[in-house]
Amino acid sequence: MANLVYLSPEWAEEGRRRTEAELTPEKLHNVSSSMTNIYKNCPDGKEHYFYVAFEDGKVAGFETGEGEGPKAEFKIIAEYETFAKISRAELGAVRALTSRKLTLRGNMAKALRLAPLVDKLNKVLATIPTDY
Amino acid sequence: MPEYDSNDPYAVDLETRLIEIQAGMHARDIDVYLGSRIRTMSFILDAFVPWRSFIVIPAEGLPTVFTFVIDSARLLSETWLDEDHVRGYFGASGADQIEVIQYFIEEELGIKNGRLGYETGMATYTAEGWMTHYEFERYSAALPDFEFVNAHDIVDEVSLIKDEGTINRFREASRIVDEGHRAAREAIENGGWKGMTETELAGIAALAMRRAGSVSEWNFAGLNEISSGWRTGLGACTPPTTKKFAAGEALMFDLHAMFKLALGDHSHNYLLAPAKERQRWHADNFVACVQFVADSYRAGATPGDLITECGNFAEERGCSDFILPGVEHGIGLFGDEWRVGASMDVPIPYWTNPDHVYQENEMVILAMQYAAQEDDVGFRYENPIVIKKDGCELTSKYPLAIEEIE
Repeated sequence: MANLVYLSPEWAEEGRRRTEAELTPEKLHNVSSSMTNIYKNCPDGKEHYFYVAFEDGKVAGFETGEGEGPKAEFKIIAEYETFAKISRAELGAVRALTSRKLTLRGNMAKALRLAPLVDKLNKVLATIPTDY
Repeated sequence: MPEYDSNDPYAVDLETRLIEIQAGMHARDIDVYLGSRIRTMSFILDAFVPWRSFIVIPAEGLPTVFTFVIDSARLLSETWLDEDHVRGYFGASGADQIEVIQYFIEEELGIKNGRLGYETGMATYTAEGWMTHYEFERYSAALPDFEFVNAHDIVDEVSLIKDEGTINRFREASRIVDEGHRAAREAIENGGWKGMTETELAGIAALAMRRAGSVSEWNFAGLNEISSGWRTGLGACTPPTTKKFAAGEALMFDLHAMFKLALGDHSHNYLLAPAKERQRWHADNFVACVQFVADSYRAGATPGDLITECGNFAEERGCSDFILPGVEHGIGLFGDEWRVGASMDVPIPYWTNPDHVYQENEMVILAMQYAAQEDDVGFRYENPIVIKKDGCELTSKYPLAIEEIE
């Protein structure tokens, strides 16, 4: 499989496919939540987003695009390069949070409980051959 | 909002509490209230909030609490608020207690400017929970378009008169403390006190109270306060030490319990045999003075009245040199354990106003301290009381007496 461009529509489609295939509702504890990652200073000079939503553990939304993206329960804001490092497993999400490289908006208590599920999602997305 | 269950003897009307606080906010043109004191959390959340927390109360609608994230799930399981209104903070960008609340107020509540009520002041114990200077500076910088207004007296005023459910909780907390006193007495009688330390006795009482339903010895004053010998001569218990009890000295057992956030706080005293005649004289004076004050409480009286009357009574008995000034301290739900009354218009801020007029169903701790330092003997009495129209109700039923223990 040829490498896909990070955050491109093709990357998003492949991400949705792999997520649906590998993360069953049981693995996701039937979670209902949503998250929008906002990428600052992307290589094209614009701001991009990655939005993902789950309803009872099933993928209910999975898209990328320009701008701030859909409103979600959680909003995570960081530099493009920070997200890329997290996706390449070069930087842990918690390390990024606690070193102020990444800003989280939403119910922090719930976010911490959902953090292991986000890790599962990131591991799946990290398997996509990607050009950053 | 949870429905008020009139069949539950411990039910409290949380909706009315919130409505009254928000009415106080409206009266002072406060757009959002940022509470930080333990007593504010207890009163609104009806749950135990021991970690540093903040509660954001909008002028309308439900409050939202932010606590240290490790305890947020436990708090959620105990308070009436739902998950959206029980949140955590931790040391991460956008998640620390400053940023998370700034964002919540400005972006989620949509309040971009106005008057922000907060809680600052002073107290005798560390854990009050006033906003620290550093927090004030950080919040002021994070919310530059807000005028910060010290407004804790809104909560103080609303929480002054206790409802029936709250009073019942205090009655139960006092019943539990009485169980602790029974266990303590059993532990020291018939020579049981020999070789026993103050800290050990504190633990024996604590276990008995936990078994009877207490959840905490509320550590503001060092958990159960126990003193013996020379420290009793100072008139206050203060934290227990590893000192062993000794024959011929006085003992002060000031036990603390907590039941549904109501604080049990009863002090009882003993003399270890052989008691000297002078010690017995002091003991009889103390019991008489406590009984006199207990008989003097009623709605309409003032702390100044009681101190004066008690002083006159002690003068007649020739023991006025040993009665320390003051016959009470305030009491409320967990975190509310010092000031009597709620007014800020007082001679010495954050201390009891001598002209405060007691009202029915107000509660205080009847607290007397008797200090005969030159005789190495002293006594302490504490009992949460409910002010009545023509008297008061002592919630601890443990008999007022100073027994000599063999």
